[in-house]
Amino acid sequence: MAVLALGLAYPGFLLLSLAMDRHHRELLGGAPPRPRRLALRLTGAALLGLSTLPCFALWGWSIGPVAWCGVLTVAALGLVALLAFAPRAAVLLAPLLPVLGLSAWIGLE
Amino acid sequence: MVNALQRAWQGFRAWRWPGVLSRTLAAVVGGYAVGALVSVACALLLPMPRAEAVLTGMMLSFAAYAGAVLWAFAARSAWRAWAGILLPALLLAAASWAGRVT
Amino acid sequence: MKQGFRQCMAWLHTWAGLIPGWILFAVFLTGTAAYYRGETTAWMRPELRTALPAPDAATLAVQELQRIAPDGPWFIGLPTDSDPLIRVFWRSREQRRFRDGVIDPVSGRLAEAGETRGGEFFYRFHFELHMPPIWGRWVVGACAMAMLVAILSGVITHRRIFADFFTFRPGKAAGRSWLDAHNALAVLALPYHLMITYTGLVTLMFMYMPWGIQVAYQGNSQAYFADTLGIPPPVRPAGQAAPLTDIAPLVAEALRRWPEAGVRRISVQSPGDANARISLGRGDGPELPIKRQELVFSGTTGELRAATGNEAPAVQTAGAMYRLHFARFESHLLRFLFFLSGLAGTAMVGTGLVLWAAKRVPKRAGQGAARRGFGLRLVETLNLGTVFGLPVAMLGFFWADRLLPRVMEARSDWEIRIFFGLWLLAYLHAALRPGRRGWAEQAGFAALLGLGLPLLTALTTRYHLGVTLPAGDWLMAGMDLGFLGFGLAFALAARKLWRESRRAAAAAPLGRLRAEGA
Repeated sequence: MAVLALGLAYPGFLLLSLAMDRHHRELLGGAPPRPRRLALRLTGAALLGLSTLPCFALWGWSIGPVAWCGVLTVAALGLVALLAFAPRAAVLLAPLLPVLGLSAWIGLE
Repeated sequence: MVNALQRAWQGFRAWRWPGVLSRTLAAVVGGYAVGALVSVACALLLPMPRAEAVLTGMMLSFAAYAGAVLWAFAARSAWRAWAGILLPALLLAAASWAGRVT
Repeated sequence: MKQGFRQCMAWLHTWAGLIPGWILFAVFLTGTAAYYRGETTAWMRPELRTALPAPDAATLAVQELQRIAPDGPWFIGLPTDSDPLIRVFWRSREQRRFRDGVIDPVSGRLAEAGETRGGEFFYRFHFELHMPPIWGRWVVGACAMAMLVAILSGVITHRRIFADFFTFRPGKAAGRSWLDAHNALAVLALPYHLMITYTGLVTLMFMYMPWGIQVAYQGNSQAYFADTLGIPPPVRPAGQAAPLTDIAPLVAEALRRWPEAGVRRISVQSPGDANARISLGRGDGPELPIKRQELVFSGTTGELRAATGNEAPAVQTAGAMYRLHFARFESHLLRFLFFLSGLAGTAMVGTGLVLWAAKRVPKRAGQGAARRGFGLRLVETLNLGTVFGLPVAMLGFFWADRLLPRVMEARSDWEIRIFFGLWLLAYLHAALRPGRRGWAEQAGFAALLGLGLPLLTALTTRYHLGVTLPAGDWLMAGMDLGFLGFGLAFALAARKLWRESRRAAAAAPLGRLRAEGA
């Protein structure tokens, strides 16, 4: 379930970064049109919000928020490193991580 | 070596060192005094059991210290820096003194 | 200083970060290593690890302590998943000072072979710098306060905190990419940096800010602690001999009360006396705050005398801060997240230091050392000797433990001497070999040390990766894999630095070879 938390936070941050001109240009080319920018921001923020759930489920209400901060930090640092050194992998990882997280979670159940 | 010293000295002069030194003193010593007085004022004035008031004051004091340091270097002149630290310190001391009597 | 607010804060950020920077780097790195202090010690003495149930481990410890220090007081640390050793601390009447050791779970005796400070060394260094404790703690406290100021002024200075949120451009000019890295490491882990710095100050607040206790309790800190933790007053020894009760049922009783948290520490006052007291301290539960709860038993009858603890909001807040700072979490994953964040903090300080020097290196090629001021050269030397020299010394500490004879006079002191010796050599080397060449060489040495450690483990112990991985011994395997990881990272850094130094050398006129760099 921890992988799931990362698998939600990482694409969340990726979408948020795509809502910015610089990263959108680097990864997809051109500046994002306004509606797409808005959609990227909302989905990104929603995914970050959703990533709280596995944290709470795994660590409880008291320690969960701490774990969530840690997951966000690691997801964001990982994203920044990938964007710099392997931008294609940065995009590919976004759908891969949540699938991995979900299957790990279902596999455990 | 002489050259290096000379350059260092010039750099030091260009640094407006009396102001910086005075601010640093205000930040380090004055800031600590503000932090300490916040912890004392909390210990004496907060409406909670004594031990908890002491603990709360101790935990908050570092935030006050950091704030005082930022102020000491943000103020427009070294005089204002000192004033902005001494005034709250005096107020805190007065409040603690009043709280001690009651 | 007649500039704007932001410039003032930028100035403050620069100097509040640089001056304590090298100490902060060491505090951050050893503190990060101390997240695994139990594992570190266990890696060094793998044969002493045990999974004995708490009551049995406590019995074993008490039996041995009765033999070596019959008068007490004793403190016993029970084995846990992350710290699987039976640790004992005692004060013997002859020596009048505290000693510590580990109980061999097989023989039940104090372990003699492989004496080491282990992870405790990094842990203590992290807030005492191996100085006299009072001095070290004040120095670290002052640096932590500067860190807090540097963080706050850095946030104010950083104009484009959200616009540059994901920005890191390693290919850009040296100054720019160091700034990017510094910003990314600082901003993305900002909650961690603020938390760890503030809670660090709070863990030693009784020393730094004793004034509340001075005024409200007239300096009687014992009364204060009695109030906050609900500790009953200590009982004087009666002077009448009486046998100590069996400890196992007491531990079992505590485990029944604290099924999730367990027992962490046991203290025994005046054993063998009619007024003996046995206190069992609660471990960490699923809630965030550390709860300083104790069950106090009579040492002769085993009767429960008191259950201490305090659930007041202020006490809980302090407990939560302690828990966050120590990262005392059962979950390995959570502790690993803290470890990664700690590395990010270390790297943030390191990149900040390097950035300061990179910004001030003369721009025009071929000017070289003649144009470098004494201050810049000093900073460059300190940077290399700290940023790469400390990891070299820390890895060397692990090497020392594996290489020194298992039984040896003052063995743990020799480990520490080797640590500081290596560190000192790193500074010397940095002074003699400025520029990228020096960085490449130290990185290469660190890579050798890191990559070699698993090999050394295989040569000197029975616990190498070929055994520990199939057996699922994650403590030993995890440490070895961690060393491999660090070795690999340093190897990559060394390769990159070496190429750059070659390129710089090719670009510079011959006579100024050594001058170019960084």
